[in-house]
Amino acid sequence: MIPVLPIILAATAACAVTTSLAAVLLLAERYLVKYGKCKLDVNSGDRLIEVKGGKSVLESLKGEGIFIPSACGGRGTCAYCKLKITEGGGPVAPTELALLTEQELADNVRITCQVKVRNDMSLLVPEHLLSAGEYRGVVERITDLTHDIKNLRIRLTEPERIKYRPGQYIQLEAPAYGDNPEAVYRAYSMSSMPDEDNCIELIIRLVPGGICTTWVFTMLAEGDEVRFNGPYGDFHLSETDREMVWIAGGSGMAPFWSMVRHMAAHGIARKTTYFFGAVRAADLFLLDELRKLDDQHEWFTFVPALSAPADEDKWYGETGLITDVVGRHVPDGSQAEVYLCGSPGMVDAAGRVIEAKGIPPERVFFDKFG
Amino acid sequence: MELLAPGALCRDGFLGDDHRGLAEILDTDRAAVEALGLTHRDIAGALDTACRAAIAGLEAPVHLPGGNLVAQFHDAMGVIPSPWGEGKLFAKGEVVVTDAATEERLIYTPLSVHLIGEHGFYEGRGSPYRIEPAKVARMFGLGKHPNDSDTTSE
Repeated sequence: MIPVLPIILAATAACAVTTSLAAVLLLAERYLVKYGKCKLDVNSGDRLIEVKGGKSVLESLKGEGIFIPSACGGRGTCAYCKLKITEGGGPVAPTELALLTEQELADNVRITCQVKVRNDMSLLVPEHLLSAGEYRGVVERITDLTHDIKNLRIRLTEPERIKYRPGQYIQLEAPAYGDNPEAVYRAYSMSSMPDEDNCIELIIRLVPGGICTTWVFTMLAEGDEVRFNGPYGDFHLSETDREMVWIAGGSGMAPFWSMVRHMAAHGIARKTTYFFGAVRAADLFLLDELRKLDDQHEWFTFVPALSAPADEDKWYGETGLITDVVGRHVPDGSQAEVYLCGSPGMVDAAGRVIEAKGIPPERVFFDKFG
Repeated sequence: MELLAPGALCRDGFLGDDHRGLAEILDTDRAAVEALGLTHRDIAGALDTACRAAIAGLEAPVHLPGGNLVAQFHDAMGVIPSPWGEGKLFAKGEVVVTDAATEERLIYTPLSVHLIGEHGFYEGRGSPYRIEPAKVARMFGLGKHPNDSDTTSE
């Protein structure tokens, strides 16, 4: 008969030893290992950075003013912070494997929050991320636009000016509060005009259970200091003279509110039709301002639509899903450019309508809410 | 799991005020689903169908075919990763399914559908998007119900 007890004891002892060794190694790496200075070569010599080893690539770059967007705060779950590390990245961690395709692995793409700087490295950072910076500002005004959408106006204090293109976004920092142990960053399109370069405005919709929007809606007050980084993104007006069709819903208003005022201020008279969808009248905002721009400029047409108006809304405008309204108003878009900003569902549905109108994909630009 | 805690991926986390361990939460819900004669995928499938219909409605209420259920999606900006760490991202926003006859409501997210279908995780008690398997079964008319008594045991 096989003695079971000694086998169980031996297996338990082996597990205990392995676990203890792993714990010792982790603690040793955390408290005892000193990596010293490491050199990061960004974009083949364009920028050479010296950092103290031991932190993640994401954190190290942030410390040097290079902000790589991340939705999970460096926890290795969102896969937003991918960069090519061409030299010195070391072996791919198991936590990265699930987040990288075979092609990405072959191309040396890494999840930068999961790669520690232990030695010199060479990495490639997209140019548009290199031009982003960190800003401090003071909340000048918070305005309710609807029951769940606020406009936040931030006056810059350090640096005092920002340069960006209408349609770009920033990442706002929500500091640690309550059960949230550390600061998080969330992306918001700027709704302000770049000409007014000493402040930015954001249109923020409350996300149920959202860390950042809860902070904005319940804690942030006028006069508070805030931090953000940016600008980011390639969702902006093209350099052509093509007619434009804009489609948005909810806080997808932000980039278009920036673009239309920028166009009006700079005499950019590209024919533009802006379709904005909401469910009820109470979900619409900036209606008077956009109608005024529609009256003032022949090139601009504003088409708000409600998908489920109630009698008390007294709505006499367009009704139906915004995608259906676009279908009715745009008979042939084959020469147009299309700009979409909204939820993934809205952008996908609008994309199908646009495709049916014969607009090629290279002339469709979208911002899918992150 | 660290990512299930409040503040890790979302304000309230995924465990609510449930003092049970994750394994116990998963085991209890698995037993509840089996008692209904269902699988996690059955539950997730029904929720997914309603979620897709709601998303297609672009925030307007959508009547689901063959019953009293109305689904509505409340959009939100951004995406949220799965706390299981598979690198999958899900649109934020919540689905509200209402039974027009009883006014019973079910609130969940696109991430909930994934967590139930792939991991059998219905979230802890007290979590904002905790889903009771029996409630889904009742509202969507799935599986065995308490009233469907087993006559052989009588």
